[in-house]
Amino acid sequence: MTPFTYSRASDPQSAIEGVAANAQAKFLGGGTNLVDLMKMGVETPAQLVDINRLALTQVEELPNNGGVRIGALVRNSDLAEHQLITARYPVLSEALLSGASPQLRNLATTGGNLLQRTRCYYFYDPAFPMCNKRNPGSGCGALEGYNRIHAILGQSEQCIATHPSDMCVAMAALDAVVRVQGPQGERTIPFADFHRLPGATPNIETNLRPNELITAVDLPAMPLATRSHYLKVRDRASYAFALVSVAAILEMDRGTIRSARVALGGVAHKPWRATQAEKKLAGQQPNETTFRAAAEAELAAAKGYKYNSFKIELAKRAIRQALTTVATMA
Amino acid sequence: MNPTIGQPLKRVDGWLKVTGSARYAAEFALPKLVHAALIQSPIAKGRLTTLDLAAAKAAPGVIDILTRANGPHFPPYPADLTKPGSPGENRVPLQDDELHWVGQHVGVVIAESLDDARYAVSLVRPDCAAAAPLLTLDDPAAQKNATMPEKWVGTEELQVARGEVAAALAFAPNEYRLEVIYTTPIENHNPIEAYSTTAHWTAPDQLLLHDATRGIKQLQKVVANAFQLPLENVRIVSPFVGGAFGSKGFQWSHTLLAAAAARLVRRAVKLTFTRAQMFDSAGQRAETVQQFAVAAGNDGKLTALHHQTTTHCSPVAEYPEPCGNMSRMLYACPAVEVSHRLVHLNYTTPCPMRAPGEAPGVFALECVVDELAHQLRIDPLQFRLTNYAEEDEFEKKPWSGKRLRECYARGAEKFGWAKRQPAPRSMPAPDGSLLGWGMATAIYPAKQQPAAAHAILSADALLTIRSATHEIGTGTYTTMSQLAAHALGLSLENVHFELGDSQFPQAPVNGGSWLTASVGSAVLAVCAELKKKVVELAGSWPNDIAGLKDALARSDQPQIEAGAKAEPDKEEREKFSFHSFGALFVEVRVDSLGQVRVTRATGVYDVGRILNPRLARSQIYGGIIFGLGMALMEATIPDLQTGRIVNANLAEYHVPVCADIPEFDIDFLDEPDPHMPDLGARGIGEIGIVGAPAAIANAIFHATGKRVRDLPITPDKLI
Ligand SMILES: Cc1cc2nc3c(=O)[nH]c(=O)nc-3n(C[C@H](O)[C@H](O)[C@H](O)COP(=O)(O)OP(=O)(O)OC[C@H]3O[C@@H](n4cnc5c(N)ncnc54)[C@H](O)[C@@H]3O)c2cc1C
Ligand code: SF4
Repeated sequence: MTPFTYSRASDPQSAIEGVAANAQAKFLGGGTNLVDLMKMGVETPAQLVDINRLALTQVEELPNNGGVRIGALVRNSDLAEHQLITARYPVLSEALLSGASPQLRNLATTGGNLLQRTRCYYFYDPAFPMCNKRNPGSGCGALEGYNRIHAILGQSEQCIATHPSDMCVAMAALDAVVRVQGPQGERTIPFADFHRLPGATPNIETNLRPNELITAVDLPAMPLATRSHYLKVRDRASYAFALVSVAAILEMDRGTIRSARVALGGVAHKPWRATQAEKKLAGQQPNETTFRAAAEAELAAAKGYKYNSFKIELAKRAIRQALTTVATMA
Repeated sequence: MNPTIGQPLKRVDGWLKVTGSARYAAEFALPKLVHAALIQSPIAKGRLTTLDLAAAKAAPGVIDILTRANGPHFPPYPADLTKPGSPGENRVPLQDDELHWVGQHVGVVIAESLDDARYAVSLVRPDCAAAAPLLTLDDPAAQKNATMPEKWVGTEELQVARGEVAAALAFAPNEYRLEVIYTTPIENHNPIEAYSTTAHWTAPDQLLLHDATRGIKQLQKVVANAFQLPLENVRIVSPFVGGAFGSKGFQWSHTLLAAAAARLVRRAVKLTFTRAQMFDSAGQRAETVQQFAVAAGNDGKLTALHHQTTTHCSPVAEYPEPCGNMSRMLYACPAVEVSHRLVHLNYTTPCPMRAPGEAPGVFALECVVDELAHQLRIDPLQFRLTNYAEEDEFEKKPWSGKRLRECYARGAEKFGWAKRQPAPRSMPAPDGSLLGWGMATAIYPAKQQPAAAHAILSADALLTIRSATHEIGTGTYTTMSQLAAHALGLSLENVHFELGDSQFPQAPVNGGSWLTASVGSAVLAVCAELKKKVVELAGSWPNDIAGLKDALARSDQPQIEAGAKAEPDKEEREKFSFHSFGALFVEVRVDSLGQVRVTRATGVYDVGRILNPRLARSQIYGGIIFGLGMALMEATIPDLQTGRIVNANLAEYHVPVCADIPEFDIDFLDEPDPHMPDLGARGIGEIGIVGAPAAIANAIFHATGKRVRDLPITPDKLI
């Protein structure tokens, strides 16, 4: 690991100042992704500003509107088990519990999870010469390489990596809002605008500005979000990243789908909100034909590569399966 | 605790292990110990032209860097270890600049801390003249250098034929004939403990090693030869090894590099692999392509079996994965041809991995048998009974003991096989997924090697027995103590078994599931010898501890010692074919997303006498889990442009986790093999994996109607 200096911040302001003072500095959350990448030599920060002591560890009801605010340092385990989440947003709880292992979830933070980086093999091992994300302009090693875990939606020829988070897929479906604080003050970013598609600049992964600290994630009130399911398809029963995942929420009105919220994981450079599928579902009867139409519509623009074409059919089946599960819930 | 044979004793070293007090090779805190990290080849084929060490040498904590320039001259490895067909490398490190795979060791940084050493490695700039590597089995350039190795590890014939295979195949009508190809990927052993060597020159010509090895005596020979020392000047002490599964035997470069590094810096040096190095530095199971042509008559009897394996090895060894060995005789068949082709590719050197040959080979054979049974509309179990081999038709010998029929019958009964609907997809579950039932035969050779032991009975009636064997997680301390206590009627508290020291009497490499039959025989022999001596002194063997102490007190000796050797009985070995057998029945559930879960498994094994059912069950349990991983998830994946492994970590190289593993019903016939030595126990370390991948694959076919002939069977292959 490349040597670095370490400091511990006591409040958001000093954390931001600490990072702003050194162009090579990074925030340190649970470290489950950042430290791994430092060991691999992918990340080489000159300084780490430890934010684990910041008082951003609460999950609380937002005043007046029934929503919930999640502090950036709430651990994945605590969030998954929090009564406000299990009662109001069970899909988020399911998504969190499907990710990583208990030990990792005990460390992983909400903010860190949002910013975890792709598991693309060619990104993760700097000995591979080509990776536009790691080294802009060097090419994409995955394009002609082993691309089984790569993207089928929204990718570019410059990068076909996926965002690996489960938590974020549920948050995308829930229309979460990311709260950030930077040298210029606080602002909010709607979830759909937080992560970016790769385009020609896969090295820029989010719309976070330099030195901005994530302070919280807000979930809007969603009284009917309990009819939901997070479905994760993976190579073993636990402790594996999603090949494809689906967060699905159906709002029903006397046997008809009033509105649907669907997001996909493992298919794109960002948590993929399945708006095409949602359109096909609204106002329809919850049956096989409807679900099939929704899945087909969402994957119509999908493109596969040598090793990952199976994801197109898999995603369709997963969408159908998740919707069927939700539709048949009591 | 009743120490007699057949009692499910807990591990005598269990407490040490769970409290962390068992010391493994990387845990010897020697004075002034420093740390080493490997410099590795960045390319798969070519030459190292320069190694720019300037930045690394200037890095904090760096003491020195070992490379070819300042390294020792090593003579070749002992010739008996590098014969064609043998595992382990024939190229000693640092003697030339040729590069044969990504990760090959080209030097060692020695630094005050592990972090310093690893950081300095990242600053080394190797310059290479790269050549085009050979990375796929079907590469024509690789095919050109293919060989047909004669023997595996010097004993097993790899190219055999009997009867008229071509004629029998030509004669069989299409519906009685099958030609298919099965493939298995590269796999890595990945024991929890990484390879590790701590080297300490206690004098200029005296070397002490703590090495994660399951071949102490062999390694002693390798190291003594490398440094041109008398054998006894190299001492290896390794009381615990954290799993091996076929790795940690044989000659690999890191042990020599650690010892050379220690000599260079005149300090004790510790060299431990990273997890990634577990994939490129010391062994793997090679990829296999197995081509079958089989035929049967209308009575369901096999008339021809052709099993052709192509596999690969690095350019610096001649080790073939012997997939066809069991095809020579698992079933009765008048015409059999088994062949093995070996091509040299630019990947790290393969070596045995748990059930070498049998794991991939019997997987393929048992799936082919299932396919043919299905094609002939015969129940797969019935098909196996129809083709039951009453004798070993390859060696033309009777079996030393074979109760496979009982395994089939008991397993089928316990599992409920009779209720199986033959048609695939005939067992839908309420949730829309499909259930399937499959079975397979397990077989593994029962071998014995020469071994010796030494016993000391002290005045207070404490028995210490020593042998240079190993504890790699299988329970050697426990079974050997149990055998001695049983033989002499002592309680377990009075028996102390010691292993893992090259100064102890000869024991074989731990492998081939022969430890119990080999070292156990030596332990029993030394107990008999000791007893004789006591009887000579005291007139009879006292029947309790007090009597024993008494007898010792009356003698004028401070303690009584005995030594003994045990060797396989040549005549018996000549007369019989020695194998263990088993039958495994599996239920799987396959969902619409291609996800497979093993929901139930029943295995019944004929492995001779069971010494300790608790340990035996855990060996088989682990073996089936190993097979489950092989069937459903394990694969080491190289990038085909560079030869670099893309998933060299345990997040992306999948092995089963608890959630993948149901309760298995494991049962033993527990009948002694009359021709095995002493108690009639055969080995159990490897047979658990054999059969498991096939039983699972066959169950998946039964569930889905899809025949996946390429491991692992991941969701993408089923949707
Ligand atoms: C073996 C393994 C398996 C895994 N499996 C899964 C899985 O199945 N599903 C899944 O979803 N995830 C999985 N993960 C990933 C895991 O969820 C992430 O590593 C974790 O969520 C990252 O959180 P952290 O707090 O440890 O982040 P860190 O590693 O501390 O930080 C990650 C990044 O976020 C930045 N950062 C952290 N906090 C903030 C903040 N408040 N504001 C601004 N920047 C910040 C850091 O600077 C860094 O760049 C797995 C990880 C491992 C190692
Ligand atoms: S897919 Fe993206 S992350 Fe992976 S190699 Fe290509 S550019 Fe790099």
